[in-house]
Amino acid sequence: MSYQKTLWALGSILIMLFFLSLFTGQMHLTFADVAAWGRDWLEPGRLEPSPKSLVFFDVRLPRSLAAVLGGAGLAVSGAAYQGLFRNPLVSPDILGVSAGCAFGAALGLILPGSSFGIVRALSFAFGVSAVALAAGIARAVAVRQVLVLILAGLVVTSMFNALLMVLKYTADPYSQLPAIVFWVMGSMHRCSWADVRLIAPVILAGLALIFLLRFKLNILSLGDVQATSLGLNPRRYRIFFIGISSLMVAVTVSACGQIGWIGLVIPHMARTLSGPDHRVMIPVTALMGGAFLLAADLAARSLTSAELPVSILTAMAGGPLFAFLLYRNRARGWI
Amino acid sequence: MSLVCRDISFAYNGSRVLHQVGLEVPAGSFCALLGRNGSGKTTLLHCLCGILTPESGKMMINNKPAHLINGTARAQCISLVPQETEQIFPFTVLDLVLMGRNPHLRGFAMPGADDEKIAWQALELIGATHLAKRRVNRISGGERQLAAVARALAQQAPVMLLDEPTNHLDFQNQYHLLYQIRRLCRNRNLTVLASMHNPNAVAAVADRVVLLEAGHAVLQGDVESVLTQKQLSRLYGMPLVESRLRGGQKHFMPVGDFGR
Repeated sequence: MSYQKTLWALGSILIMLFFLSLFTGQMHLTFADVAAWGRDWLEPGRLEPSPKSLVFFDVRLPRSLAAVLGGAGLAVSGAAYQGLFRNPLVSPDILGVSAGCAFGAALGLILPGSSFGIVRALSFAFGVSAVALAAGIARAVAVRQVLVLILAGLVVTSMFNALLMVLKYTADPYSQLPAIVFWVMGSMHRCSWADVRLIAPVILAGLALIFLLRFKLNILSLGDVQATSLGLNPRRYRIFFIGISSLMVAVTVSACGQIGWIGLVIPHMARTLSGPDHRVMIPVTALMGGAFLLAADLAARSLTSAELPVSILTAMAGGPLFAFLLYRNRARGWI
Repeated sequence: MSLVCRDISFAYNGSRVLHQVGLEVPAGSFCALLGRNGSGKTTLLHCLCGILTPESGKMMINNKPAHLINGTARAQCISLVPQETEQIFPFTVLDLVLMGRNPHLRGFAMPGADDEKIAWQALELIGATHLAKRRVNRISGGERQLAAVARALAQQAPVMLLDEPTNHLDFQNQYHLLYQIRRLCRNRNLTVLASMHNPNAVAAVADRVVLLEAGHAVLQGDVESVLTQKQLSRLYGMPLVESRLRGGQKHFMPVGDFGR
């Protein structure tokens, strides 16, 4: 399939899933309801909030938008990291951003008197700090930067996971511990317009910048020697891409909790579909990531009467899908 | 565009690899860098194209101090064919060659139709157009080497550094590639500095030779004066016999029981 056709097909799937997501749930909504609200909205004073319109505009719409943005952000971050680290097995939390976010959120959840805003702010701050710490360790070591950065990421991840366990251990087992566990599991049900307003600028700006500089990812994936000989400053671009990707992951995780596998699996799916050239692969990854998280969220709130945490579904779908991609691409060289 | 360096020194974590190396490559000439493994050839090439920063010394690119030429501008002046060309992601050869256009792309620009035309021309120059649509993980090491040379050609830099360019190439491709590069020196005034291991190939194509021994440039000059039985025997620590081919070109062979 050509690049244009692939984009059209994925774009159509994403739009279909988006509308399906808006009209699927415990409360039955129809197009006629939405059309009626549209007519009322055009005539000032006639639009009166009803339970149905509140569910549509204040629950499902921000949640679906957050899923599209978060999925695209996580997937594109994963693609950027894999290109940057020249390793297709890297996911965007390799530098500890997710572990930092989880610790920050848990800290917010056990601090007395903290609101959801503080939980999100702490989550974001610790996520970004974790990456900065990993980068600082790599800078101090100052040899074999890419490899050391990954190892520093493992150190930071392990450290924040240990700190999270300390918080869990000391948390009130009846109120705080379940809150931490459910937050870490990740879910889109918390997403409101406030979250969309928070994550949309960061993710849209990040996606735009990575999209504009996607050709440079091709060159960075050749390694520092070749990238420098081609006129690129690998260190500067690495800082730039890590910074942008980490911000996108941090805002997503601080709003939705930890959502695994998207950053690892979706870039592989995109490579299978469109090849490894980042000029083509990045837009495909963004559309696929958005569609995947939207579909996972749709399934999370439709499969059972009680909503499942979305990360369970992304892991359940992502794991086997990744195994299938490993098998499918076994001779194609991008494993 | 000429390339001159004076007193270049470099050390990896305190271990000195280059000792006040000086060399001169006049515009449009093919200069070969000969030396044993670990003599500092790759380090010198990396210093020249800005991958490594020398501890001391001066470099001039067309009489302009190299430290005044930043990354992109330097890549417009100097291209590099690295020793290792293995890729993690299986790009097509054409995609790989297109990456050579990066120094000419400003800001967020992507390679366009003109860049693609230049990439095809580069592939044509080295007779590798048949590889254009093949993926780099599905071609041989020699073919990957050709793709790396095509990428350096697509860079359209007036100075080309080659780090063992005939690595992995078959006998025919070794000479085809070297003669093509020498032709570019003659016809397009390309300045070439290539680290090489085969003195017979050097005698066939080079105008100048620099002998590098344990990080010291011990001798340099034209092929006739530098590439001698005495110098090469000393450089490689092995007995050699020098003869002349019918066209007058020098030819070296190991003698005695060396290596048997």
